[in-house]
Amino acid sequence: MPSTTLEALGLSKSFGGPPLFSGLSFVAEKGLIAVTGRNGSGKTTLLKILAGLARASGGSVRVRRGAAELAGRELQMTLGWAGPDLAFYEDFTAIENLRFFRRAAGAASGERELVERLEAVGLAPAAGQRVGEFSTGMTQRLRIAFALLFDSPLLLLDEPLAGLDSEGRERVLGIVAGKRRAGAVVLASNDPRDFASPEQEIRLGGSL
Amino acid sequence: MAGLSRRGTLRSPKPPGGPRRSLRERRPGDLKTRAGFAARAWAICAKDAAEELRRRIAAVSVFFFAAAALTLVAFAVGPFGLPQEERAGLQAALLWILLFFSAATGLPRAFVREEETGTALALRKVTSATAVLAGKTLFNFFLFLAIAAVTIPAFALLLGWKVASPPALAAVLFLGGYGLSVVSTFLSALVARAGQKNVLFVVVSFPLLVPLLLSAIAATLEAAGGATPWTPLRVMLSYDGAATCGAYLLARSAWED
Repeated sequence: MPSTTLEALGLSKSFGGPPLFSGLSFVAEKGLIAVTGRNGSGKTTLLKILAGLARASGGSVRVRRGAAELAGRELQMTLGWAGPDLAFYEDFTAIENLRFFRRAAGAASGERELVERLEAVGLAPAAGQRVGEFSTGMTQRLRIAFALLFDSPLLLLDEPLAGLDSEGRERVLGIVAGKRRAGAVVLASNDPRDFASPEQEIRLGGSL
Repeated sequence: MAGLSRRGTLRSPKPPGGPRRSLRERRPGDLKTRAGFAARAWAICAKDAAEELRRRIAAVSVFFFAAAALTLVAFAVGPFGLPQEERAGLQAALLWILLFFSAATGLPRAFVREEETGTALALRKVTSATAVLAGKTLFNFFLFLAIAAVTIPAFALLLGWKVASPPALAAVLFLGGYGLSVVSTFLSALVARAGQKNVLFVVVSFPLLVPLLLSAIAATLEAAGGATPWTPLRVMLSYDGAATCGAYLLARSAWED
């Protein structure tokens, strides 16, 4: 299978005032790409732009598999994303949420497979629990399961370790380590302990 | 990667047709079982229905409004309160006023709730704006039919309203309800992230829905009299077609960033 590449070309973003970042270009194919910067420097915004959830003020994002540029649903499935803004249906259980998102994407959703996905983030025992009853850490684990829902080769994780206990941190770091070997993980965080020798580092609010 | 390699692999039972691949081995290209547009829209409609059955926010407010309005109309007008010569026209207008305002209390919530609870981001990530619009329109259409199924018999009973051609009335309700649902759902997507969304919804929806409501009232009047209202039905069909095309073409701009 040809490798999947994420290309950011001259990205810029402003909300009317001075730009959060401008002329940002990088290529992510394999390994860990760390996005760092002070609060408000645009890490979350950058990851949303890369995920197709926000529009850049300038520049473009391209995702290629081999030479072919991906678009539409294929593009959506290729980029797994999780961020602090990601919320779930509180009246539904964890497994009902994952099942719904798989179905809404047009993908099959076997019960055992969904349990496996929850197991990967240590949430299998809470599979039947309403998300409204989840703690901060459990919701964070569900966010990671959401990012992994389509086995995307490119992962965009915004503060993925926030609110996790040590066991949860270990699991997520393990997932990141595995994913960076197989594809690319773009990880935004303020905490340098979240990055284990990244292949690239993008510093926002400073120089690239 | 201990979590995925150790725990992420299916152990038993083995499915028929060969060994199953572990999570780690699956790739996005594996989604060959992907359903089409209709199945994705249906998934969203089913989710909204399940959510509504658990919370009953829209249903309770819609049916409470319909019951209150109907009771007030029945007490104020009753079966004989309207002049004989104007009764049929006024009853048709009253029925659609009742249906429109009852629906207007529930239909705009389609997208607004997704934005308010923050689930819109996840929905945007996994599926297209058109599939979401179609699914939510379908749910709103079923909600409208449920409102009509409860309101119309009560309206007929309390106001002594008789319909000589029930199939024609069913066609009017089907086309009127669909038009109301598609326009309301689209406008809900448009105003979901705006301030003062309830006021904005009413202000924007009124001029857009007037042609549909006038046709629906004219068609209801004819159906009650026993005629088949071909002309207003054609107008409603054209309106529904134009509204569907417009909503489909503008869905992405209305809902996505």
